[in-house]
Formats: sequence, C-alpha cells, structure tokens
Amino acid sequence: MILSGTFTFEGPRSRVWEILQDPAVLAKALPGTKTLTKVGEDKYQGVMKVSVGPVNAAEFAMSVELKDKVEPEKFSLVIDGKGGVGFTKGTASIALEEQPGPVTVMTYTSDVQVGGKIAAVGQRLLESVGKMMTRQALDALNKELKSRL
Amino acid sequence: MPAEHRYLSARVARNEDARLLTGRALFVDDVQLPGMLHVAFVRSEHAHGRITNVDVSAAKRHTGVHAVYTAADLGSFQKPGPVLVTPPPIPNLIFNGCTQLPLAQDKVRHVGEAIAMVVADSRYVAEDAVREVVVDIDPIDAVVDLEKGLAAGAPLIHEHLESNVAAHVVQRKGNYVSARTKADTIVKRRFLYDRGVSAPIENRAVVVEWNDRSEEMTIWDTTQAPIPIRNGLARMLGLLESQVNVIAPFVGGGFGPKIMMFYPEELLLPWAAMRLKRPLKWTEDRQENFYATTQERGQVHDAEMALTRDGRILGVHDVFLFDTGAYDPYGLTIPINSQCTLLGPYDIANYESEFTAVFTNKTIVTPVRGAGRQHGVFVSERLLDLAARELGIDRVEIRKRNLIGPDKFPVNHEIMFQDSAPLIYDSGNYLPTLEQAADIIGYETFIRQEQPARRAEGRYLGVGVVCYVEGTGIGPYEGARVTIEPSGKVRCATGVGTQGQGHFTVFAQLVADALGVDVEGVKVVTGDTREFHWGTGTFASRGAVVAGSACHAAAMAVREKVLILAASLLSVTKEDLELSGGRVYVKSAPERGFSLGELSGKANPLRGAVRPGTEPGLESTAYFGPDRGSTASGVHAMVVEVDPETAMVEIKRYVVVHDCGTIINPMLVEGQIHGGVAHGIGNAFYEQLVYDEQGQLLNASFMDYLMPTATDVPPIETAHRETPSPYNPVGLKGVGEAGCIPTGALFAQAVEDALAGSGVEITEIPLSPNRLFEIIEAAKT
Amino acid sequence: MSGRIAINLTVNGVRHEREVEPRLLLSDFIRQELGLTGTHVGCEHGVCGACTILFDGEAVRACIMLAVQADGHELQTVESLAGPAGELNPLQAAFRQTHGLQCGFCTPGFLMTLTAFLRDHPQPSDEALRDALSSNLCRCTGYHNIFEAAKLASRAPLP
Repeated sequence: MILSGTFTFEGPRSRVWEILQDPAVLAKALPGTKTLTKVGEDKYQGVMKVSVGPVNAAEFAMSVELKDKVEPEKFSLVIDGKGGVGFTKGTASIALEEQPGPVTVMTYTSDVQVGGKIAAVGQRLLESVGKMMTRQALDALNKELKSRL
Repeated sequence: MPAEHRYLSARVARNEDARLLTGRALFVDDVQLPGMLHVAFVRSEHAHGRITNVDVSAAKRHTGVHAVYTAADLGSFQKPGPVLVTPPPIPNLIFNGCTQLPLAQDKVRHVGEAIAMVVADSRYVAEDAVREVVVDIDPIDAVVDLEKGLAAGAPLIHEHLESNVAAHVVQRKGNYVSARTKADTIVKRRFLYDRGVSAPIENRAVVVEWNDRSEEMTIWDTTQAPIPIRNGLARMLGLLESQVNVIAPFVGGGFGPKIMMFYPEELLLPWAAMRLKRPLKWTEDRQENFYATTQERGQVHDAEMALTRDGRILGVHDVFLFDTGAYDPYGLTIPINSQCTLLGPYDIANYESEFTAVFTNKTIVTPVRGAGRQHGVFVSERLLDLAARELGIDRVEIRKRNLIGPDKFPVNHEIMFQDSAPLIYDSGNYLPTLEQAADIIGYETFIRQEQPARRAEGRYLGVGVVCYVEGTGIGPYEGARVTIEPSGKVRCATGVGTQGQGHFTVFAQLVADALGVDVEGVKVVTGDTREFHWGTGTFASRGAVVAGSACHAAAMAVREKVLILAASLLSVTKEDLELSGGRVYVKSAPERGFSLGELSGKANPLRGAVRPGTEPGLESTAYFGPDRGSTASGVHAMVVEVDPETAMVEIKRYVVVHDCGTIINPMLVEGQIHGGVAHGIGNAFYEQLVYDEQGQLLNASFMDYLMPTATDVPPIETAHRETPSPYNPVGLKGVGEAGCIPTGALFAQAVEDALAGSGVEITEIPLSPNRLFEIIEAAKT
Repeated sequence: MSGRIAINLTVNGVRHEREVEPRLLLSDFIRQELGLTGTHVGCEHGVCGACTILFDGEAVRACIMLAVQADGHELQTVESLAGPAGELNPLQAAFRQTHGLQCGFCTPGFLMTLTAFLRDHPQPSDEALRDALSSNLCRCTGYHNIFEAAKLASRAPLP
C-alpha cells in the first residue's frame, strides 16, 4: 500500500521538526496510539489500536526507527508492527520545506505492507483508513504546533 | 440383464431428503461428545519465511487451555505427507514431490500454513490462546507469479531443489512439426485461465474420539475418502486398520478439496486425542477455508493450432505453466487432465503438449470440480473460434468439420490420462449433440436475424457454442454389500462418501431394479468404514459409475441367491421365477412364492446345516473395477447481452446437451448439471483469488470473493443423449463435473461474439465486469 | 467484561433460561447450548445465509448476532417446520419434489428465508422470488430447482 502526499504546517520548520521527534506529542496525535516511548537513540516502541472495517480495535505492537536524519530537512522511518490479527511492515520518508509565512510544507511517501487477517478482510479499506489516520495525525500535530507558537 | 427396469432412468424423489429438510441429518460439526475439547490453529501470516521462534508459553498458561503443540512436540509423527497420486509413466517425466508436514518447521511456504495447535475448553478460548502464541518469522520474498518464479534468482521455495520447478511433462501424438508445414493457417495466442476455491457451504471439520479402554478410534471427517484416510491414519498412528473407524456422515458439498488427504488437521487431532484421552473437535471457519483447504488456480498457455483452409485441424502445440502451490501431494492430475481434455471431440492427429508445474507461495492446488479440464477446453475452443474468424468459416461449422465420427470408437489418443492408462474414448456420438444444441439455442436464426436486428437497435447480443469430452468413471475400484433382511428391507453398503450427489437414491434405484423391490425399501449406507472398508472415494465423476456398478453387481449376486433358493424350495427352475413387488414367485402361478423377507429367514436356518460352498442369508459383496474411464461429452450454448459501457453481461439463455451414458435418475443428473453450470458461471465471471506480490490473499471472505447467487444463474435448458459405456453393465458415465467444464470457453466466445467488430478478443478467464471493461477499453485504442 | 449474563428466550415454542458469555454467537448458542443443529454455519460473516432463523418472525443471520441479543425474544429454527411425526410441511415437500437440495447444508437457511418471505408475499412474481433467493448461497444446485420449489410452495395453500 503506497500512501503519499503533502501537508502544510502553520509554523516554522524548526518547530515542526521538534514536534516530530517528540514521542509524547506523537502519541497524542496518532489515532489509536495507547503508548509510545523512546527506547533508544532514534528508536521508539509503542502499542496502537486500529480498526479496519470488520476488524475492530486490533492491537499492534509497533517499533519505529528513524534513519537518514538531516535536521531539519528530512528523515525516514522504518516501521514494524505485529498483532493478533496481522502484521505491518514498511518505510516512509519525510521532507520538510519552509516557505514564506512561515509555513512548512511536508512531503511524505510511505510503502506499507499489511499481512494476516487484517489484510484478508480489510483490503478494500486499508488505503482509505491509512489516509484517514494520516490526515487526523497531521491535523492534530498542526494544532499542537499552533498552540506552542 | 434380466431384472426390472422400473427405476432405471426414472425421476425418483430422494430417499435422503426428509432428514436433510428437517435438520436431522448429521454433519460433522453436529457431533457433540461428552468431555469434548476444541482445537484452533496458529497459522502463518507470511507467505514465505524462516521460522526463528515460536513461543507458546503465554498460550499454555491461558485459562481453559489444555495443550499447545508445535512441530517440536510431534517427534516421529512429524513426517511429510504421502504423494497421493503417482505421476503416470510418461517418458522423460520430471516430478519433484514435495509434501506438507503436519506443522510447519524451519520454513513457512504459504499464508495459512499451520504452525501450532491449541486445545481448549471451547473454540472461543482456543482462538484467544492462538492470539497469545508469538511467532517470529524472517520473511523471504514470495513467489507469486509463475514466470517470475522460474526466472533465475527467484527465491527457492524448496531449497533442496535447484529451482521452483515441481514437474515437467511432454506428451506427444503424431508429429506436429511436420503437420505444421502443411498448414494454410496457424493461430497462436497466449491464454490465461484462473480458477478459485471450491467453496462448499460446509467448511471442513474433524472430530476424533479415542477410546482408551477398547483402544479404538472413531473419526468423523468431512472427507470424500474415508477408507484411505482410515488406512493411512492407522499406519501413521501404529494401529491396526480395524482399530480405526472413519465416518463421513452427511457432508455439505465436496467438489474436490475434501478428497485431499492427510491434511494437517486430519493427522493432528487423532494424534493429540490419543495423548489427551479426550474427544477433540476442529471446525474450519470460512477464512481458514481460503488458506487451509486446497484450491485450484491458474495456468498460462502459449498455444497454437495449425489448420487447412477449410478448417480441418492438422495439429495443436501447447506449452503451459501450472501453479501447484507450495506443495504437490496430488501429483499431476490437474495438468494432465488439461493436456487430455484439450483434444475434445475433435480428430486431432498431431499434438504436442508440454507443461511445467511451478511451486508458488500459495495454498496447495488439488482438483476442484473439473480438475484442469476447463483449461484444456478453453485453449482448444478459443483457438478454433479464432481460426474460424480468420478463415471466414462459421464457428459451429468448423467444429462439425473436425468431430470424430460415431464409427471410430474406441478412439485411442495414445497420450496418458490421469489414471495412468492411455486416453481412450470408449463411446460417443458428437455430431447430433452439437446439432441439437445449436438447434435448441436457435443458432442459425440468431446469427442471421436476431443478432443484426438488436445491433441495429444499439444492443449487443452474442451467441456461443462449445464442445467438450470428459474422462470419467476411472478405477481403481469400489465395492458394495447388499443384504436382504428378514423385514424384507434391503441394506446396501458401499465405501464411497456422499456430498449431495444422491447416492442414497441412485444406488437404491439400481438395487431396487435388480431385486424387484421399492426404492424406498433400500437403505443405502455410505462413507462409514465400519460398514464397508474396501475402496477409494468420491472424485473424478466416478461415484455412480464405479460404486453404482458395484451395487448393481452385488444386488445381481443376491438376486441369483434368491432364485437358487426359491427354485429349490418351490421345486421349479430359476427361469420359472419372477422377482417383483418384494416377492419371488412362479410366473405361471404367482400365488406360489415367498416375500423376500420370508426367504431371507429361510436362508438363515435355526436348524439344519448350511451346506459347504454356500453362505447363510441373502447377502453378497461384489467389487467393480473398470479397465479404464468412460468418456462423457456435451455441448453448451449460451446467448448473452453485453452492455458495452458498463461491461455487465446478462445471460439470456443457457443450453446444455449432454451425454453421460445410461441415466439412472434424470432429475439428479439435471441437478448436477445446474450446479456445475453455476460453478462455471462463477469461474467465468465472478470468482478469483487475489494475491498481492508478497503472497497475501486479499479476498479471503465471501464479502470479497464473489459467489454466484440466484440472480446470477439463469434457468438452464437441458437435453440428454445416451451413448452407453461398454465398460460397465449398466452403461454408466459420470456427470458430476460436466456442467462447469466448458463454461469459461463459452463465456469468452459469446461475449466476443456480442462485441464483434470492436476488436475485442478474449483470451483469459475470469472476466468480471472490471476486467471486461479494461479489455473493451484497450481494444478501442 | 466476561461475566455471564442470564437470558430468557423462546425457541420453537419452548422457553429456555441460560447464562451465557456476552460474546457467544447466537448461532453457537442454538447449535451447542440448545443442541438444535439443524441451523448451519457457513461463513460467520453474514453472507451465505445458511444460519438464517426467524427472530420474532423476521429472517435474520444467527452468525452475526449474539445470544444476549435474543433475551426476551422468540426464535424459530428449521426444526419447527415439520409436523410432530416428522411430516414435511408444504415448503419442505416442495423442495423434495423439485430436487431443490443436494448436500442439504444450505437448505435450512433457504427454508427459513422462504418461510418468512412467502408468508409476507404469498404470490410473488418470478423476479421478486429470485431476488429473495439471492440472499442465500448454494454451491450444489445452481438455484434452478430451489426456485422451482419456492414457486411450487407459493401456489400451495398456506399451512
């Protein structure tokens, strides 16, 4: 499943970069996140609860690693999630560009593979759920950003 | 054959219906035993990978869990399953037999492969515990596409092999290379033919009871082959065959995959039951069925046909790839069927067919209704249609010019059939069948008048007519025991299983005719190894032919005993006697005679001796094993309307003219044809298993795997013809698979005809509105 | 929440009182708790219709309902159709006559769907009847003879 797009944050790039590295902020913003803790340099672990179609409140143990960081321009992510109804593995790359305002335009591309029960019955919905979760997360992050300015 | 023919070819209502209609019929999941525990399986979520760890500790601690087993617990029981069908002795055949283990160990090779077994108080608790088993798998890239799977550098599914080649087979007849040089036209295309799951409404289930005190095991299994299951399991468990009883009670549809044997679940439940000393039950849920029950999938054909300018086939050359899935326990039955069925009812003197079977990281492929015949029929019928268009010859006419004449039988095609004997057509009469089908569908009038008239209105109607020949009724053998009881009722026991074909009625009809009794008075027992334990099973359209012939033979032997005993008691000769209305009596003096029940009492004396060379009672066991299979044939015709904007296809008429030899019960034959056609419509237009590049099945439910419903299947017009088989006394041929064999080819022809002039060429199945739409759009450019 | 819940319901005219887990499916309750195995389970996601029963007279899929939802309600299963000595009712007899069943696994679901449908539409058009039948899956018969059975029953006098 390929998810890509752009999003405009209403704030300077350095502040956007800050939030994106803060597990406490990410935990609140990402829909369904129960816990998210930093366990090492650029390594995070957490538990997420996701609903896709008939599969309700499926829990995934997630591990996320940040790579290729070029502060404050870009970084990439390696994602690994495992749960009772399936697994997910993927990568994402994030690029940030500051523009007059100041606003920050984020460009993201991700390629996520989903397997197990959740893929077998939720297939038609995976992409739309993925887009929706991404949208909700980015909106929540933007809100947090604005509150800090 | 001296007996009555009261029931042969009669539309008799079924003996078994009352139990089924009232919900009393026992299916495996209905079995409830005291102290029974329930099983659920941990299954691989990856299509290909190395198992690095399986942690069952949390699952074992879960309340209500009695045991959790992994491969490590199985000891010597962990052995690859047998190759069930040895490939036929074809010269230079390559076959790499790689079969499944009861529980995956070291590697997983398809999504759904069983890794661990949980036994708990209820299925609910067992599934809770399944979620607590932690399985770590290092994924390997999956092999999903057949050509990519053969390419250099493709991941190896079975690492002791050098490639993913499961088999390579070439069969030849005549000399195609030389025949080709004489051709006026050569038609060559690539064809794709996909299939899907068998999807019986009842999923698989196994219940096992090990009686530790009597040391006997009873297994209820939704299998199509209870006797081989009993024999194999007894051997694997170190028991006598007679210590194991397998019962296939009422089974809710088989269609092929329920004859795959030694599924992991069938092996593991008996093994565990002996250790836990508790009855165990496992019932598959529908999602599991998509992964854990075998299925049929696709073939890729590059085929060409060489013809003269008046449409006579000089020869066919076909090279194809066959998807066998992660393991190949069923040998090469399907692709060999494809090779053989391609020849159809046509006189094809030169034929070269070559296939490579390829391992893929998907569920094991074994026969599903049709068993590879669809693929062969699609190739030859499409090539003929394309040749007809190129040569400017009518489609029905080109077929007529190539049909084998009725005086040519038996026809020896020389190549090997699935039963390891040369492909020989025993009997048939193809031209009248084709003419009748064309006549019923109104072919001439349609293409000359109706079609052009509708086109002028902007409506796109098309007609299709396709032919096929189907090998049925193969050996090795079946047996039956017929007993006349003192009540006068008759018991007939045979070893095959029944999954809705009406055995309780058709076998009763044969027995009732032989003994002159009412069909309701014959109680048929099938699928219970306690009752009958010699035979193979229900598959390859052979039930009525082989088991039916055995029932007939046993009944005729009992008839002989009746005549001998009655003649002796009445002081007449056998020729003076008649069997009718449940009595045996002197023809010229009907009041002198006995009811059969009375006679059976006399045959079992309380005093006096039973003379050497005779047996007490009126009972006989007989076996029937044909030398080879008999060939049924038929023609399907269809009128469709296609909406060129939405690509929706509506079937206006569907006609089947069919020859399955002597018919025992026309109502049941029609039922088999209706069901087969519905399955074929599903295959042609709705059903497809969709896998992603990592071998994940994306539509493992009826929400997304589309099954035809009552609004998708039109009323079907059927007509019967009979060319009896010389291989059995009643002249029977099989009919179970006929309905679904030519349907894909028929859809392609009719839809192409509806869209004639648009450049649309259909060389793949399934179509589905989506795919057809794409094809239509592509033809516009 | 895993405590058991008391439910009271009537099935085929017989009152039952049981304590069940909240997550117990109605289909499993009928088959396992009550031993009424005539209702069959084909898919557990509400598509095939083999588990169709009447719930306060309406055709529903027992596999996607919970037993606790049946508390205080009246259920009818296939076992309620035949007479006391097992005599087939007109709908069942019609199925036998037209060979509207082969393996019989989907049949109880069709019988219950049709019991409700024919009660509410005693003389349906062919189109309406086919449409009603499309809610249940059958893999054996191709639906032709099921349709004929329903037509035959629709012309018969109601029991």
